[in-house]
Amino acid sequence: MKFRRVFLFVASLSVAGILLVAPALASGPDDFVRSTGMQAFNSLGSGISDDERAKRFRAILTRSFDLPTIAKFVLGRYWRIANKIQRGEYVALFEEFIVQAYAHRFKDLSGKKFLVKQTRKLTARDKLVLSEVIIAPGRPPVRVNWRVRGLESKYRIIDVMVEGISMSVTQRDEFAAVIRRSGGKVEGLLAALRKKTQN
Amino acid sequence: MRIIRTKKGFSILKSYPAIARNKIFRIIAGGCVAVALTLSGCATEPPANNPEALAAYKQANDPLEPFNRAMFEVNLGLDRAIIKPIAYVYKEIVPDIFRDFVENFLDNLRSPIIVANDLLQGEFERAGTTLIRFIMNSTFGIAGINDFAGEVGLVRHDEDFGQTLAVAGVESGPYLMLPIFGPSNPRDGIGIIVDLLLDPFQYLGNSAFGLARSGARAVDTRARRYDTINELERTSLDFYAAVRSLHRQRRADEIRNGAPSANQPAPMISGTAPGPNVDEWQTPRTK
Repeated sequence: MKFRRVFLFVASLSVAGILLVAPALASGPDDFVRSTGMQAFNSLGSGISDDERAKRFRAILTRSFDLPTIAKFVLGRYWRIANKIQRGEYVALFEEFIVQAYAHRFKDLSGKKFLVKQTRKLTARDKLVLSEVIIAPGRPPVRVNWRVRGLESKYRIIDVMVEGISMSVTQRDEFAAVIRRSGGKVEGLLAALRKKTQN
Repeated sequence: MRIIRTKKGFSILKSYPAIARNKIFRIIAGGCVAVALTLSGCATEPPANNPEALAAYKQANDPLEPFNRAMFEVNLGLDRAIIKPIAYVYKEIVPDIFRDFVENFLDNLRSPIIVANDLLQGEFERAGTTLIRFIMNSTFGIAGINDFAGEVGLVRHDEDFGQTLAVAGVESGPYLMLPIFGPSNPRDGIGIIVDLLLDPFQYLGNSAFGLARSGARAVDTRARRYDTINELERTSLDFYAAVRSLHRQRRADEIRNGAPSANQPAPMISGTAPGPNVDEWQTPRTK
C-alpha cells in the first residue's frame, strides 16, 4: 500500500514536471517555423476567396514576422535619408505591398509536404532554420530557409530564402532601383507603392 | 535573330498571321534602334558626394543599364510574340506526363556537360551521381524520358562552365542582358559557348536536331515558369530590377551548390555579390 502511494506521488510529480518543462522544450525556433509554415500551407489554399486569403496571410504576417525590421532592412541606406513621416507611411505601405504581392503565391501550395530539417546559429539572437517543401515525389525539394530572430519563446521571422533567393534582398534591390530612377528621392518609391497598393 | 534568316525559321513565322508577323518584325526593328541608340550610353556613375546613390550604383553592378534595359524590352517583346504563346498552348494542351517525358529527355541530354563541369570543379561524388544517372536513365529510363535514377534517390543537379569559372575564382563582370539568352554576365556568356563546345550531342545530331532541342528547352522552361513570371511581373514595381536581383542571387546559390547562406558577409566565392551586412538587420527605433 505504502509503496503504491509513493509510486503514485513520484509519478504525479514527474507528470507535473513534464507539463512544466514541455512548453519550454517545444518552443525552439524550429518549432516556431514549423507551426508558422503549417498555418501558411494549410490555411491559404485554393478553397477560399482572394480576400479571405489576403486576410489570413496578413494575420500570419503580422503575428510571425518582424515587419518593421524587414521594412527598414529593405529600404536599406535610404532609411537614413527618409524623414519620420516618410518612414511611417513607408512601413504601412510596405505591409500592404507584401500582402498583395505574396498572399496569392500560396494558392497552389496547399497540402504540400513541409519539413523542417535543422537549425543553425547565425548571431547571438538570429538563427537560420532550414526547411524543404516537397512539390512532387522524385523531384528535388524546394529549399526554404528562414532567418529567425528572438530569444526564448518569442520568435519573429526576418527573412525567407527560397532556393537561395532572399525575399528581403530582392525587395531591397528593387526598391533601390525605383528610388535611384526617381532621382534618389524616397518620395518616388512611396508614390510607386501607393499606386501599386491602390486596388 | 538568326532563326528568322534560316529557311526553317521562315516556315515557323509563316504559320503566324500577318499581323503577328508584322509585330515580330516591328519588335525586332524597334529593339535594334533602341539598342543602337543606347549602345554608346553607359549609366553615369553618381558623384562621390552622393554616397547613397553611389552605393546603390555599385551594388547593382550594372554599368550598361541603359543598353541592358533596352535589350530586356527586346527579349520581352520576343517572348510575348513567340515563346509565351507557344508555352501557353504547350502547358494547356499537352498532358503533364508527356511534358515530364520531354523535360527528362532534355535533362538527360545535358548529363555530359554536367559530368564535365563536376569533374572540372573537383566534385567527384557529384560527377559519379550524374554519370550513374545518365546510364540508368538512358537504359531503364528509356532514352532518358523517365527519371528512374531520381526515383531511387539519385537526385539531379545542374552545372555549367560559368559556375566552373566562378569556383576557379573568375569574377562575373558586370550584369549583361544577352539577346534571347536573357540575364547573364561576361563570365557566364563565355560559359554558354564553352558548354556548347563540350556537348557531344551538339556534334552527333544535325542542325535541325540542335534547333529542335533548343526550341523545346525554351518552350519547356517557359511553360514551367509561366505562373511565376506572371506573378513577378504583376507584383513588381520595377520588373527589370527584380529580374536582375533574382538572377544574381540564383547564380550565387547555384555556384554554392545550394549551401545555405544567411546573406551575411562570409568567405564567399568571388564573383558573387556579397549579401547585406548583419548590422543592416537592425530593428528601427522610430516607428
